[in-house]
Amino acid sequence: MSATLTPPASAAPSGSTAPMIAIADLSKTFRRRDGGTHLALDRIALDVHEGEFVSILGPSGCGKSTLLYMVGGFVEPSSGTIAVGGRPVTGPGPDRGPVFQEFALFPWKTVLGNVAYGLREAGLGRSAAEAQARQLIERVGLKGYESFYPKELSGGMKQRVAIARTLAYGPAILLMDEPFGALDAHTRVRLQNELLGLWERDRKTVLFVTHAVDEAVFLSDRVVVMSRQPGRIKAIVPVDLPRPRRREELLLDPRYQRLVIDLEAMIEDPPEDLPA
Amino acid sequence: MIALRRESLLGLLPILALLAAWQGTVAGGLVPPALLPPPAAVFGRLGQNLVDPAFLGHAGVTLYRLFAGFLIALAIGVPLGLAGARIRALGAVVRPLVRVLAPVPKIALYPALILSLGFDDASKIVLVVADALFPILLATFAGAASVEPKLVWSARAAGTSAAATLWKVVLPATLPAILTGSRIALVIACIVVFLAEMITSTDGLGYLLVRATRTFQIVDMFVPLLAISGIGLLLNGALALARRHLLRGFPEEG
Repeated sequence: MSATLTPPASAAPSGSTAPMIAIADLSKTFRRRDGGTHLALDRIALDVHEGEFVSILGPSGCGKSTLLYMVGGFVEPSSGTIAVGGRPVTGPGPDRGPVFQEFALFPWKTVLGNVAYGLREAGLGRSAAEAQARQLIERVGLKGYESFYPKELSGGMKQRVAIARTLAYGPAILLMDEPFGALDAHTRVRLQNELLGLWERDRKTVLFVTHAVDEAVFLSDRVVVMSRQPGRIKAIVPVDLPRPRRREELLLDPRYQRLVIDLEAMIEDPPEDLPA
Repeated sequence: MIALRRESLLGLLPILALLAAWQGTVAGGLVPPALLPPPAAVFGRLGQNLVDPAFLGHAGVTLYRLFAGFLIALAIGVPLGLAGARIRALGAVVRPLVRVLAPVPKIALYPALILSLGFDDASKIVLVVADALFPILLATFAGAASVEPKLVWSARAAGTSAAATLWKVVLPATLPAILTGSRIALVIACIVVFLAEMITSTDGLGYLLVRATRTFQIVDMFVPLLAISGIGLLLNGALALARRHLLRGFPEEG
């Protein structure tokens, strides 16, 4: 394929010490309804370092979301280990904040209530939690919408609320599961830019699942390419593009174009055939 | 809002048609007035009764039994439904029990309830509980079982314990289903409390109907029926208002 490829190992790109996320020999088997079993993920090994933005790219059904859910502690692995910050994952925790494609906002809470939720759970009083939540709402550009319910917002606004809700409790790691997959093209680009802006400020560790090649290249330090049936890591591709990145410049950059072309060739199914 | 008002006006039409048919039946001589009094006579008597402390006392007794039974059913059905849907072992115990007990005609238990609990409120309240419980329990169970897992995950990641998600996420997310079950349960409670009072009682609207029948007070026979129907209508309206407030953040139901 291309010279930019590295073998599916988990070589650290930087000289930092212990990885923030260490995934070793991780497999997931689901029981099928007919009694058989389905190997969703097969011996995944991946290290993600602190402050690194890593995308997991692959076709539908390659288990990339399942992998993310296991790092989140929402789904139990069948075998193998995941360690976050050197400690094995035994369940969900506020060190890992998920952002889902479906937003998963609490419909019974207002924007303010949603964003303040994690702060209240962390033990803050109502007024302190709400003051902090208001700041975050302003930071994601939703000032004035505090008392709105999620159903009154557009998709892009809902996802901004979901991001603010997750940022509120200060996770070291963001686990983003196709967060912009349900948005129209224009909104998606805007939110990609906003996410990159937030990330360049905080430098949180991000694990970002997507099936959009351009999105993966635009955002990431490394792109993990997966194949399906069973879900395996096919390649880990470093994205050596300078930061801060500007979309207008990147689209003209031959290195960007090369990466997109190489990665598209690597995904088994052409992205346009994928169900939304 | 205008569309809503037009719809509720439209809903009045069949009720008016029903009253017209009633009036027509009496006026056309199809049924002798001694057996079916004209609606004006019944409504007139109802109007008189609404300022009669004795009648209001009977209505109050019925309302007390109805509410006590409904609220106890809610207090049992909602936690049991939530826990049964979310805790696998409990669900395995509760589900077969519900399947066996739900189709049993609870009114058939009433003679046994009278023997063990007496003629007074207790036996009637228990009967209302027995009948109102299942719609609430089944709706809560189904609603809680289908809560979007990512809502629970979002709360877990924010630091909520697995147990606490039951009332911090699953309960509010199940509210639409609980209210739907409650609406059915309230109607059933109206029916059952009335039936129980008809079977054996010394007070309540059902008792008034039976007493009127035994003494051939034909007009008075229909008054308790109108009263319980009115109570059902008011309760349904109150629940609809509560629903609109409680579910103001939820997407409209189709």
